[in-house]
Amino acid sequence: MALTVDKASKSFPGVRALRDASLELRAGEVHALMGENGAGKSTLIKIITGVHRPDGGRLLLDGQEISFSSPRDAIRLGISAVHQERNLIPRFSVAENILLENLPRRAGLVDYATANAEAKKYLEMIGLSVDTRTEVRHLSVAQMQMVEIAKALSHEAKVLLLDEPTASLTGEEAEALFALIKRLKAEGAAILFVSHKLEEVLAISDRVTVLRDGETTLVGEPIARMSRGRLIEAMIGRAERIAVVRPPKPATGAVKLEAKGVATAVGHRDISFTLRRGEILGLYGLVGAGRTELARALVGKDKVTGGSLSIDGKPAVIRSVEEALKRHRIGYLSEDRKYEGVVLLHPIRFNVAMTIWDRLAKFLGFQTAAGERKAAEPFARQLEIRTPSLEQAVGNLSGGNQQKVSLAKWLAAKVDLLIIDEPTVGIDIKTKAYIHELIGKLADDGLAILLISSELPEMVALADRILVMHEFRIVDGFDNDRSYEAMSRKVMGAIHRHADETVA
Amino acid sequence: MDPAPRRTLSSFLLRGSTQVGLFLILVVLWAVFANLAPGFLSKFNLNSLLRSVAVDIVVGFAQMVVLATGGMNLSVGAIGVCAVMFSGYLMQVLGLPIPVAIAGTLALGAFLGWLNGFAIVKTGVNSFVVTLASASLFSGGMLILTKAVPLNGLPPEFGAFGKSAVGPAIGSMPALPSLAVVALVIGLGLYLLFKHTTLGRQILAVGANARAAEMSGIPVDRTIVFVHALSGALAAAAALMLTARLAAAMPAVAGDDWLLPSFLAPVIGGTALSGGIVSVVGTILGALLVSTIRSGLLVLEIGNFWLPLFLGAFLLAAILIERGRAAYVAREQARRAL
Amino acid sequence: MRAFFRLQWSGILVGIIAGGIALALSAPAFLSEFNLFVLLRSVCVSLLVAYSQMVMLGVGQMNLSVGALGGLVAVVTGGLMDALGVPTLPAIAIGVAAGGAAGFVNGWLTVKTGINGFIVTLATASAFAGINLGITKAVPFYNLPTDFVAFGNGRLGLFPFLLIVPLLVTVILALFFARAVPGRHMLAVGGNAPAAQLSGVSVPRAIISAHVLSGLLAAVAGILAVAQLGSAQPTIGSDWLVISFAAPIIGGASLAGGAISIVGTLLAVVLIGLIQNAMVLVKVDPYWVQFLLGALILAAVWFNRYRAVRVGES
Repeated sequence: MALTVDKASKSFPGVRALRDASLELRAGEVHALMGENGAGKSTLIKIITGVHRPDGGRLLLDGQEISFSSPRDAIRLGISAVHQERNLIPRFSVAENILLENLPRRAGLVDYATANAEAKKYLEMIGLSVDTRTEVRHLSVAQMQMVEIAKALSHEAKVLLLDEPTASLTGEEAEALFALIKRLKAEGAAILFVSHKLEEVLAISDRVTVLRDGETTLVGEPIARMSRGRLIEAMIGRAERIAVVRPPKPATGAVKLEAKGVATAVGHRDISFTLRRGEILGLYGLVGAGRTELARALVGKDKVTGGSLSIDGKPAVIRSVEEALKRHRIGYLSEDRKYEGVVLLHPIRFNVAMTIWDRLAKFLGFQTAAGERKAAEPFARQLEIRTPSLEQAVGNLSGGNQQKVSLAKWLAAKVDLLIIDEPTVGIDIKTKAYIHELIGKLADDGLAILLISSELPEMVALADRILVMHEFRIVDGFDNDRSYEAMSRKVMGAIHRHADETVA
Repeated sequence: MDPAPRRTLSSFLLRGSTQVGLFLILVVLWAVFANLAPGFLSKFNLNSLLRSVAVDIVVGFAQMVVLATGGMNLSVGAIGVCAVMFSGYLMQVLGLPIPVAIAGTLALGAFLGWLNGFAIVKTGVNSFVVTLASASLFSGGMLILTKAVPLNGLPPEFGAFGKSAVGPAIGSMPALPSLAVVALVIGLGLYLLFKHTTLGRQILAVGANARAAEMSGIPVDRTIVFVHALSGALAAAAALMLTARLAAAMPAVAGDDWLLPSFLAPVIGGTALSGGIVSVVGTILGALLVSTIRSGLLVLEIGNFWLPLFLGAFLLAAILIERGRAAYVAREQARRAL
Repeated sequence: MRAFFRLQWSGILVGIIAGGIALALSAPAFLSEFNLFVLLRSVCVSLLVAYSQMVMLGVGQMNLSVGALGGLVAVVTGGLMDALGVPTLPAIAIGVAAGGAAGFVNGWLTVKTGINGFIVTLATASAFAGINLGITKAVPFYNLPTDFVAFGNGRLGLFPFLLIVPLLVTVILALFFARAVPGRHMLAVGGNAPAAQLSGVSVPRAIISAHVLSGLLAAVAGILAVAQLGSAQPTIGSDWLVISFAAPIIGGASLAGGAISIVGTLLAVVLIGLIQNAMVLVKVDPYWVQFLLGALILAAVWFNRYRAVRVGES
């Protein structure tokens, strides 16, 4: 079975997510789909799985044009997506989850004996040894993912879509998954493997398609002809990498934050670093390395259980985000914009003023919309938030403008230390460049910035120093000499060294 | 920034808020009832309508402030009965001066509400379950202590206030009952709270997106506790108004009877169950609408037994009409955005 | 032993046994045949009411109209027998069917309008109560067939005849939710609606079916209440709301949906019945029942939450 996407386009209010993107997936191959966050991967996946309908372009199955009106249609035609844990019923058994589509019954009742036997067949097929009667909520993430694959097989899926399948797996679990993928491929399945991990893609795929800014920059190139360099270039492009470079500058500002041997309730150990005003400190690591979790501990959302933090030279304990903001002047620009960054229901002025209501309040906490507008206006203008009015609900803005609102909130609060977590995910290229420039300017104005990013180019372009985090520890740190090649060698080297150590 | 888009009358009616739509429905209903039943506009009828709607409005407020955070308070009625009996106890048994009794009753309501909020925040259990349980606790506790015996010997001034009115009667319009004035003053206070204070904004931020609010340094737990205490105080205020209206403290007057009106008024008035959106004016109009229908049907002698049927049907119809209008507006906006 | 305490309802069972022993020691009348009969009979209606809500919690919804619906069915059935002279069985059949139809209206409105089920059933509760009052003008139907009333009061030793119905329903429901495909589909929708949908489960159909089932159960509860009281009171159902939520929640159900326990609900109803009985026996103010019920709900959810954290599922 072959699945072809022919010049698909898709727009959302304010964003063109996909432009003439193509993909050709054949039976018996592992096809990698790569791209940065926000490149349009998830939109393309949603088109293939029937969640979205493309605005333009065609979808072909074995040369026949098809169109889906719901995800069910895709499943019926043999296209199954495997997500982590999301498509299972927590309190149902493994067997029942696998066979939910078509439970075996006898005399109108579910026949669990047959169901267990049948489910066992699928589990054997994929080499998972758990009791089919176990409730799914008691399984590990890796096991749940395997159960989902078994479920897809029970639907006789010919096209399997694995979306970042290794994101929360251990090395060993990932190896087991790859072995399974190879076996399924040998049996003739077409597998679309979505990942942003180069090593994995090079190791397991036959061909690769790369998306950048909604366009396919590589379509079905054989992996044998690929190098890391070409893949990276296809994903991020040369021009973007050198777009913004902050000139190296010695950090001379006063120390804002010093961590000494910090441990947290979520598992960090021995975290030590200093961050000065006017400095951008990068915190790099793979997904799941514990960067966002560290940020949450620094703003009092998770508990610090060991070591010491000092702020402005004084020992500090941060118990809540409120305290981080009001007493220590620390802000956190969340990676999860829609859920933690902005309040979609309320107007821009409300969102920007959220951090400074205390300051705007007159007698008895009196506030006015005009007061908020006045306070928000300079930041809206500075950040070039594109909107007819500050009364516009943030939910009506594009992703880029929402991110600007989220940032404006912290600028308005006049924090000294801003933790910036994945600031440009899902944001169009122009706004992205603008935000990079702005982050540089904020540091020049004396703000201490802790920058978390999974995009190394972004790191190299902005950070003064790059700390490398792996499995909830800081494993290395380098001064940034602004050379992408050199820095990427150093940073990746540090991660691989420690990954090997943990395995050994 | 561009100026706001120009508005025509038709776009105003269509795009205007839920409250405008409600107001229009009210006007139409009044016209219909006044035509069908001359008794509807009689001084007596309007006076009794306004006195009862005043209590419903404040009951609606007690629910509205919790809905604003995306929670619920099923114990509004239970706090109400506790407050009714407590006020009677303070005035009749202890013989305290009326202002002291009022302050004490409001404090009791706020305290019971605070208990709700405290339990919700500390246990992390859903507000529905906590207030379902506390409703039983509160009204059970009240019945144990009072043996369900009504208190009929309240100070006459208190009952007199319940019957009093402010301002002159104009033509067939009665003077404004004092109770209605109290409801309006409370409404004004809440309007100012939500429109013009830090606390009100914090409540709306928590209701719309608690995680974003917390990550912006807003004390979410404290806000939720406050809202429940406020809800309790408002329930107590409604209880005091009811006690004044009846000139007696009776244990069977609030309780379960308040459950429906407490949700009806705010939900008809455009307050979202999911939180983050409130309308004080809408809640007033919602309560007025309910009372108008009730009063109109009574005057028309359609039979008060069937009344709940009409109320239920009307609630659904009102929400559906409002949904349809909102969906239309959203479609229009999407079309203009492209 | 440890496995026993891991069960959601183990605490309730321990409570029932301890309470029963304490009561037997302090009030000898507790173990009298008649008292046990009264206790068991009082459990019958409550149990069906609790199941009616439990079904809704299973699919992840609520039904605030349980009481109003049961009350409506009670007067419809009573009215058929009294005013229209319909024989017992056809009257019951029509009453149950009316309950199912009313449940269908709830479900249909929830699914078709997209309005929150909480608001829909709050509104229909009012509507059902209105029809009830419109039919009866608040006057009960007294003139019921003697066989029907006899069934409501009859007993075999300490077992009331009425008990047959809830026991039968318990067995059917247990089978339905454990083995029948529609029952599994309801729980799947309550557990993870999008996932259920992707697996071909019709979410609207599951929600409507749950409402119909809830309506049927409330209807049976209403009819039993009529049999027990010997008259069709228009007030039947007006005090069901709290117990309908209390029993399933104490029994371990979650408002989030997909997690219900029939045994837990059954035991919770027995525990509540025991408390009511105890109040009468030791001549305590009956108002304590309401107070204790509230305390019990809080204690149960608190305990469940604590244990969920301990066991590491949250």
